[in-house]
Amino acid sequence: MKVSFPHMGNAYIPLSSLLSNLGAEVIVPPRPTRKTIDMGALHAPEFVCLPFKVNLGDNLRALQMGSDTLAMVSGMWACRFGYYGRVQHQILRDVGFEFDSILLGREGLGTVYNKFRDTVEGSLLRGWAHAVRSFKHKAEAMDALEMAARKVRPFERERGSASSVLADGLAGVHQAQTIKATDAALREALGVMDSIETEPPAREPLDIAVVGEIYAVLEPALNFDIERKLGEMGIIVHPVMSVYKWLFRPLKIDPSILVDERLARRIAKPYIAYVLGGEEHQTITGTIRAARHGYDGVIHLYPFTCMPENICRTILPRVESEFDIPVLNLCLDEHASPAGMATRLEAFVDLLRERRRR
Amino acid sequence: MGTEVVLSSPTGDSLLENGVRHCVDDICVPVKLFYGHVLDLAERCDVLFVSRLVSVEKAEVATYTCPKLIGLPDMVKSSIEGIPRMVEFVVDLQEHSIRSSAKRLATALGVPQPRVRSSLAEAELVQAAYDEKLLAGVEPEEAMRQVLGNGNGTGNGGKDSSARKPGAGRARKPDIKIALVGHEYLIHDHYISHNLPAKLKRFGADVTYMTQVPIEVIESELARYPGISWSYEKELLGAASHFLGRSDIDGVIIVMGFACGPDSIISEIITREVVTEASPPLTTLVLDEHTGEAGVDTRVEAFVDLIRRSRNRS
Repeated sequence: MKVSFPHMGNAYIPLSSLLSNLGAEVIVPPRPTRKTIDMGALHAPEFVCLPFKVNLGDNLRALQMGSDTLAMVSGMWACRFGYYGRVQHQILRDVGFEFDSILLGREGLGTVYNKFRDTVEGSLLRGWAHAVRSFKHKAEAMDALEMAARKVRPFERERGSASSVLADGLAGVHQAQTIKATDAALREALGVMDSIETEPPAREPLDIAVVGEIYAVLEPALNFDIERKLGEMGIIVHPVMSVYKWLFRPLKIDPSILVDERLARRIAKPYIAYVLGGEEHQTITGTIRAARHGYDGVIHLYPFTCMPENICRTILPRVESEFDIPVLNLCLDEHASPAGMATRLEAFVDLLRERRRR
Repeated sequence: MGTEVVLSSPTGDSLLENGVRHCVDDICVPVKLFYGHVLDLAERCDVLFVSRLVSVEKAEVATYTCPKLIGLPDMVKSSIEGIPRMVEFVVDLQEHSIRSSAKRLATALGVPQPRVRSSLAEAELVQAAYDEKLLAGVEPEEAMRQVLGNGNGTGNGGKDSSARKPGAGRARKPDIKIALVGHEYLIHDHYISHNLPAKLKRFGADVTYMTQVPIEVIESELARYPGISWSYEKELLGAASHFLGRSDIDGVIIVMGFACGPDSIISEIITREVVTEASPPLTTLVLDEHTGEAGVDTRVEAFVDLIRRSRNRS
């Protein structure tokens, strides 16, 4: 079984580990680029949301690389994400590819569990237990590295050193075959991260929270690596979500994530009274919290035509004026360009600096 | 409940323009229209009635309408200034009955509770009569006029306004039958759809609406396409599947609003899962606030020509 799945930030690291421990050969498509997006947009419905097009492009590339099974989550939610797998896989079959689908959520846990009966050596239950354990370790290692890089980046003496250490560290974690090796790779990378030369900033760094649709916030290919860009401008970035949280939220095993979700819903309730099926509560609450923590501004990222975030986009101006915090709304689509993005970011940062001086 | 009802005017240039101006750029057309209608009413009423449609059926697996409909009152409340007090009518059948929603509405309007029962019973009668008219092929606006008079349960609502709209009149004898699949608020909004039904009639087509498909038929069709959680899109899918399997239908047009989220997925499911070799021709018409009438004319005319030509050939 040569299995593949679409990208979502660094989620491929724990996910590959999960699947390869289940005995499947994992094919990781190259990180999404403009070319991936173009490939996806060619076959995707016209005004479907952008993540659909990128995911479709990832799947196309994986199939071209010889994968014979595509995995995706699926569900019946108000948001379109639940239908991605079903529609994408049909599109790819119509294009002429032949493959097997694993639609977690549509097929039920039992079917997915048994799909690996032939590939796992020995007891299936033990195979799954080990795979999940290594998945968790890799996810935690990935999260720890991302956080460490986020902390160092605004203060590094040589621009880009934190990002290159992060890339090396993530590669080390990705290649680690055992849980022990994963932990060792993490320790080593964190050690290197600690030894990066830093200097005190010339001026007090700005704090900016990044909120919005989860894929737009977490996928560097879509947001032109906004986290790195801001960090290297000497800004402390506070993303509201992380790949780790996204992976573990539906598993309902980490109580801190569940508590945070409930709290976020409660804080956002006066603005959005009902669940809309996306990250709307995190967007609104993230903005309110940013104001309470005294951050300088908020960047709201969302893909073109995203339903829940468009509603947030409508409501955010009210939050912005009630809590007196500047919000930059950035809508991303397949035509967004790095130059356009950079201009708007720089203008926003200038505005925040000016605001702080006063 | 004893309140005087004021309805917004039919969609027009300035109404839509106002709506667009107060909306986020990339939100779907129906929301822009809704904003236009809210602004149209803002100066003419004391209380603004906005429905919040969360779930409109009670099912084993939870279903939803669409995020925009669920968040509609939140959006209106947060982004339009200077509107009158707003009352919400929450329809969330998954969680509570219409009765309890009506009770809450009565409280918000200051109407005595005993009145709820009788007004709800009357509303159900009216709704049933209206549904029956729709099933018989009457357009919603006309059906409402026949059932309610001018929308307030009093008096006579006047003439059929669609006759005065562009594209009306000059209908020729129909020789083909076309089914329209799409949200009623698009197809039957004469302004945004450029009076599509009348246009089709002018091109010599007999028009069938998806409101003419009984709910039992839609449900039996849906058994073949499980796993959809949007109630209104389920209706589109079921109706499309029904029309595409009918031999007396010569063509099906899916009407979508630009940037409609659920429609972008469901139209893909219809074209990829429902359409077979034997299906009649199917086309998609996307409507937005810029759509020129000529563009709609060209596409509809081409579609009708295609159907006639393929029929003459066989």
